[in-house]
Amino acid sequence: MPAATESVAVGMPVEVGDIPRELKKLNAEDSGRTRASLINLAVYSEAPDSLGKNTAIISEITEDHACRAIVIAAAPTAKESRVEAWISAHCHVSRAGSKQVCSEQLSFSIEGERCGLLPNIVFAQLDSDLPLYLWWQEEFRAPMDPQLWAWVDRVIYDSQTWRDFDEQMQLVETAQQEARQRIVLCDLNWIRLVQLRLAVAQFFDHRAAHHHLEEIKTVAIEHAPGFRSTALLLVGWLAAQLGWERDRGNRRSLGFRRKREEDDDWQITISLREKEGEPVNSCEMKTDKAGFKIVHKPGADLLGVSFGRIEGRHMDQVLPAGKNAPVALVQEELRRGGPHNVYLRAVAQVRDLL
Amino acid sequence: MSDKQLPNPLREGLSSKAVPQPCAIVIFGATGDLTHRKLIPALYNIAADGEMPPAVAVIGFARRPKTDEEFRAEMAEATRNFSRQTVRDEVWQHFAQSLFYHQSEFADEEGYRKLAERLDRLDQESGTRGNRLFYFAASPEQFETIVENLNKAGLNKAREGSWARVILEKPFGTDLASARHLNQIVQRSFKEDQTYRIDHFLGKETAQNILVLRFANAIFEPLWNTRYIDHVQITAAETLGVENRAGYYEGAGALRDMVQNHLLQLFCLVGMEPPTDLGADSIRDEKVKVVRSLRPFSQDEVGTFVVRGQYAAGAINGQPVTAYREEKGVDPKSQTETFVALRMLVDNWRWSEVPIYVRVGKRLPKSGTEISIHFKKAPSVLFNRESQAIEQNVLVIRIQPDEGISLRMQAKVPGTSFRIESVKMDFHYGTSFGKASPEAYERLLLDAMAGDATLFARRDEVEQAWAFVDTIEEAWAEKENAPKLCTYPAGSWGPEEADELMARDKRSWRRL
Repeated sequence: MPAATESVAVGMPVEVGDIPRELKKLNAEDSGRTRASLINLAVYSEAPDSLGKNTAIISEITEDHACRAIVIAAAPTAKESRVEAWISAHCHVSRAGSKQVCSEQLSFSIEGERCGLLPNIVFAQLDSDLPLYLWWQEEFRAPMDPQLWAWVDRVIYDSQTWRDFDEQMQLVETAQQEARQRIVLCDLNWIRLVQLRLAVAQFFDHRAAHHHLEEIKTVAIEHAPGFRSTALLLVGWLAAQLGWERDRGNRRSLGFRRKREEDDDWQITISLREKEGEPVNSCEMKTDKAGFKIVHKPGADLLGVSFGRIEGRHMDQVLPAGKNAPVALVQEELRRGGPHNVYLRAVAQVRDLL
Repeated sequence: MSDKQLPNPLREGLSSKAVPQPCAIVIFGATGDLTHRKLIPALYNIAADGEMPPAVAVIGFARRPKTDEEFRAEMAEATRNFSRQTVRDEVWQHFAQSLFYHQSEFADEEGYRKLAERLDRLDQESGTRGNRLFYFAASPEQFETIVENLNKAGLNKAREGSWARVILEKPFGTDLASARHLNQIVQRSFKEDQTYRIDHFLGKETAQNILVLRFANAIFEPLWNTRYIDHVQITAAETLGVENRAGYYEGAGALRDMVQNHLLQLFCLVGMEPPTDLGADSIRDEKVKVVRSLRPFSQDEVGTFVVRGQYAAGAINGQPVTAYREEKGVDPKSQTETFVALRMLVDNWRWSEVPIYVRVGKRLPKSGTEISIHFKKAPSVLFNRESQAIEQNVLVIRIQPDEGISLRMQAKVPGTSFRIESVKMDFHYGTSFGKASPEAYERLLLDAMAGDATLFARRDEVEQAWAFVDTIEEAWAEKENAPKLCTYPAGSWGPEEADELMARDKRSWRRL
């Protein structure tokens, strides 16, 4: 891709060694601007057109989350070895409306053998003392560079695009161990479920509704093609949090059981169905006496939520649905944070099925 | 068994605070300004953000005849005018289904009996589970009537497993005696743990951040005492005049309107000891100790340490404005203060002999509320010799507008000479965090639905604050030798006497 075209989208071309000086000049251009940064957000992609796309994404993210963005477009298989760099600033009017708040973006196109210099490039450009979030848009490949991972505080990925969940997870876990620090794993496939999980959870906030949790007998989830893993994470979450045990008789089985003190094991039937639409079109849970349903109509930004007793009162509600776009998912992750321990427990329940 | 003992396992990792419960919210004074401008827009925003419990019914209680549909239409318009986010028809339509109107005089017992029946029906139809939140948005003179009638209708008591709570809007009385009387009235029917006294300053993000700043950062707390702090200033400045509140303001004045509640509450957050935990009573236990430690003024001291002022004609932003006494609804001989400056001392180990200067006023040149912590100067050696004395370090917590925190420190001016200047490290909420904070009322309504009273004033806090303020009011009310009411031109920073109050201590007010 010609550098001239890229520079329009990603900013001013600079020599890699001149970046600090050029950034200083950029910031000094307009005294009415305020530079802000709460994190270093490094984005790594090997897609051919990623630089422009990720620049657009960063522009949106920085509206709510001031950061120093380091956008890397890598082409490890390119014959030629080279590194090109650009700098730019994403400026937005602050909430108070009184000033322009700017986040810096450093963009790199790295080709051929120079891709091995990734940690070197990233480390040199970090805004000191701020945490490093690494958004890895590719599948992970062995060997994982321990030098890079030792610096990462949160790694963001989307397991929905992974071909082999277990293999990828093993790589991440290895990197985590070698890094000798707690890297928080932020799976956008899990973030995709936040609003749905909130909608499910709120059914059972009142203590008088807690008993329903112990009486769930069926869970039916309808998901879009390609989002079976999203639906499985939802099942994993319910199982992990409600103490269900996998029926391991059949390795690919989706059966769960719940141990109850007062009677025999309680079987829970899970059914997943594929249908065009949103990642999770609907989730319905039933006990013998009540039903809980969440519907996400295609394209809607609200969830239709209903609870009803069999032959009894019905209640409806609308709740925010969240969006499936990468920028919305990353914004949600940045807004919520947290250690994602529940995610790890959910994964453990269904890892072999993912 | 409490909710805390039986958490919803599906909430883990999703919510870091207590979760609001299904309930019926009854607003007394449903046709008033507060309901239109704040309460219904806040409830709508809670619903739009997906924070509303699955079953909530909002019942407007007022005397004007109105149908549910008329009430919903009025509230739709109010929400469109005053909501912080654009109203979405789909969300509004759904929210509006939970809005109801109940017509009754406050003094009509039958109206409350019918309200009780209606609430029971809503429990069945809407699943509000017998939980009741009574919001007193009416004037305080009506509180006694409302409370007594709620009591007679049995609405102050919740069924087994449910709750009944009451939210009181300020003013909580006009002095200690009336505050005690009001509290006694309320507590004849509602226990203290059912009573939520709202002070919207405590719902502001920056007010909540004071505790985080102090107790989540290790660097400030060791310096937060008489050994390192020279003095504290709290300023609440408004460019606005009395507007359409003359009826209330004439009887209240700046001391009762702002100092007794908002500013003392803010100072409590700055002055309190670390609580044992983040529970409502742990925090409020520490806050009340601060108010209890305020050194009361003798009558003579009021004249020395308290300045009261009233604005005369002047100009704001280049526009001429009239004097307070010429405002609509104001007595032409009014003695009501629109400005107060005072110097307080806190008699405890941490704050011993550290003056706390408070100033509040209307028609000042600029609007802003902030707390500034002025640290003691560096020793008079090296860079701080008499000949080139340098400024103090100042930590400023800006409550509104442009919420944030700044720290003033000294730096060498680049060059061959050794010149030192003050520089400011500045943190702005709006710059670092792009997302708009919820309105204070949203946070406080959610907390009341969740049973979290941390950001509400407790009875003893309110009464102690009145006890402190009453000594000032009593001195002002003396027929002989009462401290004078100073005047200041609108658009100035208050009367000269306020500057003299500081100058006597060789200090000056911070420039906002």
